[in-house]
Amino acid sequence: MAPHSSDAPVKIACAHVSKTFIQKGKQEVPVLDDVSLEVHENEFLVILGPGQCGKSTLLRIIAGLETPSTGSVTLKDKDGMAREVQGPGSDRGLVFQGYMLFPWKTVQGNVEMGPRLRGLPAAECRALARHYIDMVGLTGFEGHYPHQLSGGMKQRVGIARVYANSPEVMLLDEPFGQLDAQTRIFMEQETARIWQAEKRTVIFVTNNIDEALYLGDRIVAMEGKLPGRVQTVYEVDLPRPRDFTDMEFLRLRQQIIDASRLTL
Amino acid sequence: MSSNIANETTCAFSDRRPWTVGRVLKSRPFLYAVSLCCFFFGWDYLARTLGTEGSSSLARPAQVWTALQDLYVNELAEHKLLGHVWASTQRVLIGFSIAAVLAVPMGLFMALNRYVNAIVKPLFDLLKPMPPISWISISILWFGIDETSKVFIIVIGTFVPCLLNAYNGVRLVEPELYDVIRMLGGNRCDEILHVCFPASFPAIFAGLQISLSSAWTCVLAAELVSARSGLGYIIVQGMNLSDPAMVMGGMAVIALVAWGTTLIVTALEGYLCPWKRKIAGL
Repeated sequence: MAPHSSDAPVKIACAHVSKTFIQKGKQEVPVLDDVSLEVHENEFLVILGPGQCGKSTLLRIIAGLETPSTGSVTLKDKDGMAREVQGPGSDRGLVFQGYMLFPWKTVQGNVEMGPRLRGLPAAECRALARHYIDMVGLTGFEGHYPHQLSGGMKQRVGIARVYANSPEVMLLDEPFGQLDAQTRIFMEQETARIWQAEKRTVIFVTNNIDEALYLGDRIVAMEGKLPGRVQTVYEVDLPRPRDFTDMEFLRLRQQIIDASRLTL
Repeated sequence: MSSNIANETTCAFSDRRPWTVGRVLKSRPFLYAVSLCCFFFGWDYLARTLGTEGSSSLARPAQVWTALQDLYVNELAEHKLLGHVWASTQRVLIGFSIAAVLAVPMGLFMALNRYVNAIVKPLFDLLKPMPPISWISISILWFGIDETSKVFIIVIGTFVPCLLNAYNGVRLVEPELYDVIRMLGGNRCDEILHVCFPASFPAIFAGLQISLSSAWTCVLAAELVSARSGLGYIIVQGMNLSDPAMVMGGMAVIALVAWGTTLIVTALEGYLCPWKRKIAGL
């Protein structure tokens, strides 16, 4: 089995992050309250919580698409230097819930986009894209446009696009929320396979307990109401590939359900 | 693992059912033919019953055809039929091109910069409801009765739809696509180049189509008022000569040529926007 995740050095950390949105009028809506968490190198961290608990906002803050009202996000870059995150950058790659592929680009064009924006030579961009298209299992669909793909295939493109940009941290915001139940389970298996083929530091946001337990090294459970706070952190020490009907899996599942009931 | 994901891709499969009588009767080409035949026979019937032979105010289809053949062979005001078609088309193309080249970048610029928008938008909101044809008299006073005044009317009539559609095309871009560009490491320039422009293409082309039909309306109006050539001139001459066949021939040719130019823009759009879903029918 792989060494325990918490032995690895910290890759990205949120320190006392709070966020308050100002709505129309001057009404303040507190969305996150003093959230601190650390993610270790090559760890698969899942943020679990019901809808409207601030988990997507937390991910967007980590991605740099929102700024925290207080607190900070620090990322350790390739040289081991920790620095505070300012705005979005190619060191953090986000997979969107609504796919957000470029409809005017083919699968190949979408996956190539990151390397091309970073100014890599065209041949290298093509090779990178080809490699990750193969890895997510879309070989043969390079020339297809997004509207010709099913939901599961679109999200594979979304994942390949982020992989191809080789970010330090991968952020996935409820990536399978729009898929049907069967495709979803299949995509979870695929995500575990892809991640084990090329390990990355991952923060995965979901509202699905099974998905969290199937994928996560650790699960950060959020409280079920605003403002979002960290409720409990679960270590998931199960061997991979995991089994949805394993006794230990089911025991942890029950434990998380029992704990979340208190706050709902 | 990758073998079992090849689902739900679009695949065209040919229909191999035999051609029965029932299927022919329900097929689209047959129904099109029925529709057109009914129209022409109905037209012919009306023309025959409404007036005595030769002096009807509604020309028969065959008379219109003869009038067109006559125009094709004989000169009317120094031009044969194709010369008049070209005169009108040339005006449309020049005016339409000037408007498109000016208005599309301006619309994009307005959508991208709110200061430009704040300065230009009120002027357009003011001028927008003014029908372009209302400019005809003033344009003749300014530019005389030659080509310039006609082109001017077309530019006036096509400018606003070109501009507004380019503007709306950018304004309606899915904002999260900008997040994607920034997340992948791009800057503001990349956002404009890789999101704004391609995303607004379909709207720009919709604007060009509207502009083109507006351009034909404008050129016709301008030619009806003052011209020595063009399809509008044929119609006016037909009216002056009390020749309904000539008037209707001119109308038919305008419809045909305008339809042709629309097809060209549609083909250009299909070439430049291959990602657009093909919508069947219409």
